[in-house]
Amino acid sequence: MSAAAMSRRALLGAGAALAAATVVTPEQAFARAANAGDWTLGFADLEADLPASAMTRVSGRAPADLKGVLYRNGPGKFRRPGGSVTHWFDGDGLMRRFAVEDGRATVTARFADTNKRRVETAANAMIMPGFGTPARAGAPIGSNDDVNAANTSVMARGGKVWALWEGGSALDLDPVTLETRGGFVTLRPDLKAMPFSAHPRYEPDGRIWNFGLQGSRAVIWRLSATGALEAAQIIELPRSSYFHDFTATERHLIVVLQPWMRGERRVLPISRGLEWKPEEGTRVLVIEKDDLTKRREFDLPAFSFFHLGDAWTEADGTIRFDVCATEDPSFGVDSAADLLVGKLDRSPPARLARIALHPDGRGVFERSDTVAEFPKSDPRFAGKARNLTFHTWGDPSRSGKTPLSQGVASSNHRTGQVDHYDFGLRHLVEEPIFTPRPGSSAEGDGWLLATSINLDARATELHVFDARRISRGPLATWRAPVVLPATFHGDFAAV
Amino acid sequence: MAERGDRPPAHGTKTTMKTFLAGAACAAIFATAAIAQASAALTINLDCADGRGQVLIAVFDSKIAYETDKPVRRLAAQPGKPVRLDGLQPGRYAIKSFHDIDGDGRMGTNPFGIPTEPFAFSNNARGSMGPASWEAAAFDVPAAGATQTLVLK
Repeated sequence: MSAAAMSRRALLGAGAALAAATVVTPEQAFARAANAGDWTLGFADLEADLPASAMTRVSGRAPADLKGVLYRNGPGKFRRPGGSVTHWFDGDGLMRRFAVEDGRATVTARFADTNKRRVETAANAMIMPGFGTPARAGAPIGSNDDVNAANTSVMARGGKVWALWEGGSALDLDPVTLETRGGFVTLRPDLKAMPFSAHPRYEPDGRIWNFGLQGSRAVIWRLSATGALEAAQIIELPRSSYFHDFTATERHLIVVLQPWMRGERRVLPISRGLEWKPEEGTRVLVIEKDDLTKRREFDLPAFSFFHLGDAWTEADGTIRFDVCATEDPSFGVDSAADLLVGKLDRSPPARLARIALHPDGRGVFERSDTVAEFPKSDPRFAGKARNLTFHTWGDPSRSGKTPLSQGVASSNHRTGQVDHYDFGLRHLVEEPIFTPRPGSSAEGDGWLLATSINLDARATELHVFDARRISRGPLATWRAPVVLPATFHGDFAAV
Repeated sequence: MAERGDRPPAHGTKTTMKTFLAGAACAAIFATAAIAQASAALTINLDCADGRGQVLIAVFDSKIAYETDKPVRRLAAQPGKPVRLDGLQPGRYAIKSFHDIDGDGRMGTNPFGIPTEPFAFSNNARGSMGPASWEAAAFDVPAAGATQTLVLK
């Protein structure tokens, strides 16, 4: 999914090797594994859209003033008779809409109507390349958006809902029906098909920053709170690292260049074309928002990551942020592919780590023991000094027994306290999203919305927590009439 | 014929109006010379989502010509309006086209080199990370003539 390897040049270079590549169809392995562990429900195919359906409240009571829509995106179909994708990141985008109002919840799920899905439906086979899936010989590809799965994230701002991928354009969806309405979003004619990646950063007033990556170049997008283009600028990067996320303070954009880099050989799929070079360490680029040519660089020890927390600058000029870090990129290369064939993730889970970039040029990387992914914070404090990071939580002793996470938590950077709730081994827990309580202003005064796959109920659930009392468990839980495959990222639009 | 600037639109290279027009003029001379021995007609319908600018079309009569971008005919057409090429020698042909919406005479590309203007090959063949192959785009023009409908996207 990286813009780097989705580029036409990269794709062209790899064409010959791909022509001979064989796609391994994983149906048999998946069927065997499904007998061994029902966690594979999280990675099964959904065959049809789910029309707006009432969710059943199974416990608790929703806060009266919680009103809004949680959009969540993730791949929902991986397998077709003529061939399947071979990596979790490459299934068809399936947008979910969880609407909460007056204590009731409904759920809707709809596949993004992409060129990729149309072509593959007609072929009755998955033929397009992705992050970890090779292209079939002859796959019709005229642009990166021809293979855009619109399956990674969502931006619900200014009355619009955009399904995001990382190697191509955003896809415009109807906020209520989730129908694909405007097609791929072109923010300016000369920027058509420029990647708009899966992790926009939002300033507290709503201004949007995002990037799109191609090798050692990136486009930096700046959009108004309503999604109108303000600026787009190309920047050069000191190395061609793969990165899925960036972060920002009030004044800076921060690009973390892990030593997982595009090699000399242009190889597809993307994950196979990246080389892990820990001896080169991790480099951090700090760029002034007001002048993208003004930049500083910091060196850190080697680590791998997908997701960063919001950053801030302290009074002495030190920049701080957190990251969910792993020792190496084996999850993205191997484990996330194995999930589709029912093989359990054996790579060590990501743990929360803190990064400090000091004014004297020194970079400090400090790991914690907390098993964590999907770091999020109170959006009112984005780019500002803050204490809390919300994230998924896992029990390290369960590593290898279940994929993904088993709980949600907040980590307090000042006190070191971790406030967590454990759903146990019978839930696959997804990224929690914080939304402020209307009328409040203190950090963390609000709710955490998290979805999970309840393996015993064989159903997707929506949970609401008091974000300052997570360990007390959900304030309310609703259950969908069906199980939906695991998601990656969401966004909450208050009503 | 033009030596440069007329490579396949899917490669994202620049095709200038000048080379296109020069090509068209050459093609007209060839056409006159060829009329004595050939008179097959090719009708090209253009399916365009946008009415602005014009569609720049190059017609090739062999695999080598197609792959080395040496068209036997070039023309500029109005979006949506059918065009008719007369005097073709019956045989195999293929077409490359793009819709020059902004009228700058070039195949627009974004800063990462991806086309920003719609394009099409004959048979509406799509390449795989590059231009469509001759094999996928080639079609017969018999003495009785042929029609191609290009969907530019």
